[in-house]
Amino acid sequence: MAATVETISNLERRITVSVPLKPIEEEVTQRINRLARTAKLPGFRPGKVPMKLVYQQYGAQVRDEVFSGAVERTFTEAVQENKLRVAGYPNIEPKQSEGGDHFEYVATFEVFPEFEIGDLSKVKIERPVLEVGEADVKKTTDVLLKQRATYEPVKRASKKGDKVNIALRALIDGNEVERTSEQGLDLILGEGGRVAEFDDNLIGNKVGSQKTFDIAYPAEHKPEQLAGKTVTYEVTFNTVEQAKLPELDADFARGLGVEDGDVEKMKAEIKQSLEQEVAKRVRAKVKEQVFQALVENVALELPKAIIEAETNRVMQATQNNLQQRGVDVSTVTLDPAMFEEQAKRNASLRLILSELVNKNSLQANAEQVRAMVDQFAQSFERPEDVVRWYYDDPKRLDEPASLATEENVVNWVLQSAKVSDKKVKFDDLMGNA
Amino acid sequence: MSANLNQIATQDRLLQVILAPQITEKATYVADKNQQIAFKVRTDATKPEIKAAVELVFKVEVAAVTVANVKGKVKRAGRVLGRRKDWKKAYVSLKPGQEINFAAGE
Repeated sequence: MAATVETISNLERRITVSVPLKPIEEEVTQRINRLARTAKLPGFRPGKVPMKLVYQQYGAQVRDEVFSGAVERTFTEAVQENKLRVAGYPNIEPKQSEGGDHFEYVATFEVFPEFEIGDLSKVKIERPVLEVGEADVKKTTDVLLKQRATYEPVKRASKKGDKVNIALRALIDGNEVERTSEQGLDLILGEGGRVAEFDDNLIGNKVGSQKTFDIAYPAEHKPEQLAGKTVTYEVTFNTVEQAKLPELDADFARGLGVEDGDVEKMKAEIKQSLEQEVAKRVRAKVKEQVFQALVENVALELPKAIIEAETNRVMQATQNNLQQRGVDVSTVTLDPAMFEEQAKRNASLRLILSELVNKNSLQANAEQVRAMVDQFAQSFERPEDVVRWYYDDPKRLDEPASLATEENVVNWVLQSAKVSDKKVKFDDLMGNA
Repeated sequence: MSANLNQIATQDRLLQVILAPQITEKATYVADKNQQIAFKVRTDATKPEIKAAVELVFKVEVAAVTVANVKGKVKRAGRVLGRRKDWKKAYVSLKPGQEINFAAGE
């Protein structure tokens, strides 16, 4: 076997391989001979079929197999000999050779780019810092209280925050467009299910009273049938109820799963889970910055094959995502170009990560994986079951393992990067991470 | 064959005489031994017809033709007896040096 390598461009290589025909032909005959012993054809007892007929029947197929096997073998050999790292699939074309005792083919393919990871010491990472304080816990309990609010009827006029039940007729130019049924419509005033004006008009009415008012909808209102129209509402108040927040007491704590009803304990638990959440967000933010820095710090040219594969993958993922949200996929046409940027980033990030991991042996070890699994399991009711589930199948460990590896990379980068701490507000951190 | 037969009608008929080559262990054995080739032919075909047909279709010279009427096998499906069609087999011996290439011809 003889192979010559040509460099077409930075990443593309063309390799011409010439293989002697003789061993190939020999193998073909050998295989036919083997086949002939078991071949079945109508009119012949098994194994009595003349060689000529077997060749007619299976010759082309066997030749194909032998040739593609030979191409595969010699190609890997040639690649190894020349120390190339092939990305994607090679494009192989046979070349008609004149002499006849050699068979030649040309393989065109791309190689993985070689790259250096730049100076990471210039990389600046901002690590958000946040202490979970009393106020944050209070905010959370307030939300929880509101969710468990009960309502009781009152005689006074309705005001913001009240729950009202109304029977409603809506008219446009005297034509009825909407009408509530007998049960009426439950609304919490000030939550803004409709336009703000609507709620404003409902404020200040007692049970049993009736009111008629007009609302002029702006032209850009959605849904369109109301846009730019003036709607007359006739409203009858069935009930007016006042919100009553539960006390922050033992009962409430029990309702949240603290069995002995200790309010302080509940607060501590809330605080703990908030802290966990914060830690998670902080990690995610740092990770994002680290990855971004890595991508920016390494100049590398990606092989087309990789970009294409990654683009397809991203597109597929988007499609699945859409489908899960109930969008009819056949009506959506996705343009691969839309995903190319993201795909490029993903692909280069993956290359960089794997390079880093291999070079600095940052693979997650068993303990780290275990820690990651424990973390996953923490939020479940019976963590030990979850842990067992993960360890039942080695495949399920892939996810925690890769996460742990990523964490290693992040830590490794952080060692050399400039890390500055930055105080952030609770809402800022939670809002957009 | 009567000489006054229309030539085109004759050719049509000849093209219908040979039904299929008979490729079996026995046929290949005979072919090796006696330079004979076996065909399935129409049951009403005659030896001269077969000779003409083979010469026409395969462009070879035929030395002799022997035929055999093969009785269809009796087959039964449950209690019902059935019979496969009878057919005619022709052994065509070629003149020395002649050959039929089935893969290329027909």
